[in-house]
Amino acid sequence: MAAAARGPPLSFAMMRLSFVLLLLLLLLLVQSGGGQKKKENMLAEKVEQMMEWSSRRSVIRMNGDKFRRFVKAPPRNYSVVVMFTALQPQRQCSVCRQANEEYQVLANSWRYSSAFSNKLFFTVVDYDEGADVFQQLNMNSAPTFMHFPPKGKPRRADTFDLQRIGFASEQLAKWIADRTDVQIRVFRPPNYSGTIALALLVSLVGGLLYLRRNNLEFIYNKTGWAMAALCVVFAMTSGQMWNHIRGPPYAHKNPQNGQVSYIHGSSQAQFVAESHIILLLNAAITMGMVLLNEAATSKGDVGKRRIICLVGLGLVVFFFSFLLSIFRSKYHGYPYSFLIK
Amino acid sequence: MDGLTDSGHGHFNTKHKWRTEFSGCNYVVKNDTVANHMRVVSLSSFLLRFNYRSTHHLTSNGFYEFLNWFDERAWYPLGRIVGGTVYPGLMVTAGLIHYVLNLLHMTVHIRDVCVFLAPIFSGLTAISTFLLTRELWNQGAGLLAACFIAIVPGYISRSVAGSFDNEGIAIFALQFTYYLWVKSVKTGSVFWTIGCCLSYFYMVSAWGGYVFIINLIPLHVFVLLLMQRYSRRVYIAYSTFYIVGLVLSMQIPFVGFQPIRTSEHMAAAGVFALLQAYAFLQYLKDRLTKQEFQTLFFLGVSLAAGVVFLTVIYLTYTGKFSLSLMRYLCPPPRYAKIHIPIIASVSEHQPTTWVSFFFDLHILVCTFPAGLWFCIKNINDERVFVALYAISAVYFAGVMVRLMLTLTPVVCMLSAIAFSSVFEHYLGDDQKKDSPPTEDSSDEDDKRNSGNLIVTMLMLMLLMMFAVHCTWVTSNAYSSPSVVLASYNHDGSRNILDDFREAYYWLRQNTDEHARVMSWWDYGYQIAGMANRTTLVDNNTWNNSHIALVGKAMSSNESAAYQIMQSLDVDYVLIIFGGVIGYSGDDINKFLWMVRIAEGEHPKDIRESDYFTPQGEFRVDKAGSPTLLNCLMYKMSYYRFGEMQLDFRTPPGFDRTRNAEIGNKDIKFKHLEEAFTSEHWLVRIYKVKNEGSSRTSSFLRKARS
Repeated sequence: MAAAARGPPLSFAMMRLSFVLLLLLLLLLVQSGGGQKKKENMLAEKVEQMMEWSSRRSVIRMNGDKFRRFVKAPPRNYSVVVMFTALQPQRQCSVCRQANEEYQVLANSWRYSSAFSNKLFFTVVDYDEGADVFQQLNMNSAPTFMHFPPKGKPRRADTFDLQRIGFASEQLAKWIADRTDVQIRVFRPPNYSGTIALALLVSLVGGLLYLRRNNLEFIYNKTGWAMAALCVVFAMTSGQMWNHIRGPPYAHKNPQNGQVSYIHGSSQAQFVAESHIILLLNAAITMGMVLLNEAATSKGDVGKRRIICLVGLGLVVFFFSFLLSIFRSKYHGYPYSFLIK
Repeated sequence: MDGLTDSGHGHFNTKHKWRTEFSGCNYVVKNDTVANHMRVVSLSSFLLRFNYRSTHHLTSNGFYEFLNWFDERAWYPLGRIVGGTVYPGLMVTAGLIHYVLNLLHMTVHIRDVCVFLAPIFSGLTAISTFLLTRELWNQGAGLLAACFIAIVPGYISRSVAGSFDNEGIAIFALQFTYYLWVKSVKTGSVFWTIGCCLSYFYMVSAWGGYVFIINLIPLHVFVLLLMQRYSRRVYIAYSTFYIVGLVLSMQIPFVGFQPIRTSEHMAAAGVFALLQAYAFLQYLKDRLTKQEFQTLFFLGVSLAAGVVFLTVIYLTYTGKFSLSLMRYLCPPPRYAKIHIPIIASVSEHQPTTWVSFFFDLHILVCTFPAGLWFCIKNINDERVFVALYAISAVYFAGVMVRLMLTLTPVVCMLSAIAFSSVFEHYLGDDQKKDSPPTEDSSDEDDKRNSGNLIVTMLMLMLLMMFAVHCTWVTSNAYSSPSVVLASYNHDGSRNILDDFREAYYWLRQNTDEHARVMSWWDYGYQIAGMANRTTLVDNNTWNNSHIALVGKAMSSNESAAYQIMQSLDVDYVLIIFGGVIGYSGDDINKFLWMVRIAEGEHPKDIRESDYFTPQGEFRVDKAGSPTLLNCLMYKMSYYRFGEMQLDFRTPPGFDRTRNAEIGNKDIKFKHLEEAFTSEHWLVRIYKVKNEGSSRTSSFLRKARS
């Protein structure tokens, strides 16, 4: 017991002693080793710091000082990939957010891959945290991806060509493999939202059917099915699938005079707004045809039927000429028009 | 010639231009007279040459020889097994017609048969569309539908004379199969079903699109089951169709065992099993009491579900059956855009904008939903079919421009139904006879008649606009033999540019019979067909690395390219150059795709970014990237072009397609020499100097050692 009671102070003293000794030794080493040792030390410290940060978050956030110290300044033995971006909501940079997501996917793939090492770090500099860095690098667009090699200055190819190849993480990984010889296999977290939505929908429909099990007449309602079929048809013929695949902007705003154009000028492309307009026009023409038929078949009084007939005819003729005029404006050299130029 | 210059696109826009119609441009392709038209078209389009060549082989060597045909002229040095890799329906049809005509001592050349095959079959398509629509609605709608399909631009593109293409006969087979299917569901007679199977067999032999039928018909049966419209007629029709159709479809060498192996045929098998089970249950229901039946039902269903589940797991596990359904459900262009540049590069594989829908279908695209509405409101067994047909076809057409072709017939039918029901009510005056002339004054009656007249007039006017549109589209966009180009001056007079034929004729007359010609793959079939020379890649090459090698040769500098060309035994290089006349479909405009495809296979040697300026532009003038200015394609295109002054207003060496003065005017070749340049410089052919002494290729030497 006595030994045990005396134990802690002794060990404390020993520790303190050894610590002081170590410090002294270090100091001596540093003084005698000179510049080379100091550099190595600094490097080790930097790597350790970077490793610590990246173990906490796969993408390291940097401000101006950190950037200069860990990315710009030598000595370094690691590559750094920097995304210059503006993520603050008031900057209204929607591309930045998309690019950021892709970048996070890439950084996470690297962080949790078996090949993870201290040879490559992913960092981000936000404009609102390091505006001086942007000025220093003469950068005036965000997002920009740059690679800082371990030795020497970044060359032209070290800036990722965003305009041309986009910012998909696969492309980024290819670029990094090209610049650093580090191969990253991009692993996207599986997207469960679609499955969950489907399951919800199925359970909702199932629940509804169960609740109304005594009255299932509505399934045999032809109008509902016809509506659903027409929705599919209208969505496809107005090019929603094109929108889905190509992802065009909603409309185009001319930066000079602020005019918003909803119709794309070329026949090879379209805006989302434009496809919605076309959808409505197609639906109106179809409705006109149905009304024309309705007017003739329904058994109401003559005046009412005449009005329905006129409305139907008007819908068909007017909206078709409108559609034709839009087509004409897009398809240069098309000679025909009807009522509306 | 002035009008030509504006057709140039200063920047890069080949993605959509490639192998698309140059409809909006000044390049309207026309021919002189009708007689000449036929001759020229038959020698025309890039793809169709191959079909003609194989048909020629079939007629001169017989059917079995054709099945065993190994074409050493294609894909040099690999060669191509033709018999087992094509759908032979088209060639056999043409060969058969030729044989019968010759038997009757009507001596026609096989080429004439090929040229007129598409128009004949479009006539048959119109007839089968009439029959199908008559089954679905009534005779009037059928006639309208036949009229629509006869002129609709979406189908005209495949049915002009000289369009000797699989799709031309396949649409007829498709419509006829559907007609016979509807007929057999209506009657439940084995006779009609066997007819349907034979028609399906013809479709399988003609086009890969038969998969659409083998999925749509099971879907129809399945939906009928869900709607509790099961009947003995459906049972007889589908069981017969599935068994006989399956056996027949497996007779085509190219299809082989696919119908029982691949997942796109599994739906048919599943529905077949389901139908048998359903029929069996129906049978039991008649024999058993309600309580017994319920127990048996639950037992049976759970057992069946378990068996199916285990089988699928087992098959997937052993890898015999891949669950590759995602490939069909997710939009292919999106998949391809990421993975395969060569698929993304073909304009036919793009999704469809509304403009293309309107361009191909005009008023029909806005009115056919009304027809669909009427069909669903007055549903019966066969209208279920047409509704499913419309919805699935419209989905596929939205995903891929090419599949507009399968949508067109159903749009014609449904539009015809919509128009016909309107005309029925407003055109005839038989209603007047029915309604008793009571308190309605004659004044009222007159008013109604005039109202009817207005409706009829306006509807006819819309249809007239449709007809005018079809004529315009057909003459401007779809009668386009890409071999002969025409340009229009300001006064409307026309210049014919016959450079392609001139160049191919030169190749045929002046080069060795076994010479190998390297060109980009668009011109492969043409060179093989018109010049009768061996090509390296053509329009059907699926060997991506082979195409990439050609792309690499085109985009490397001369000495690197020479090594590749030596290893591939190339004797001549053929390129298309439009800078003199302002033709925007030339090789420089396609060049980035060559680079991209080459980069996909050889990322260390070729980099797309090297071909851009630091600002990311693709320029051929002095500011262009040095890699571009020294690559083989650039040098071949602009060789001696710097000495040429086209206009007093422009400097020498001014490229009219890209509106720029070229950057490298001093081009000299070490390993190549200019062999031929056509009148308007559209086609340029270079000879590869043969420096090695032996003619044996390094490729063959490698193979031997």
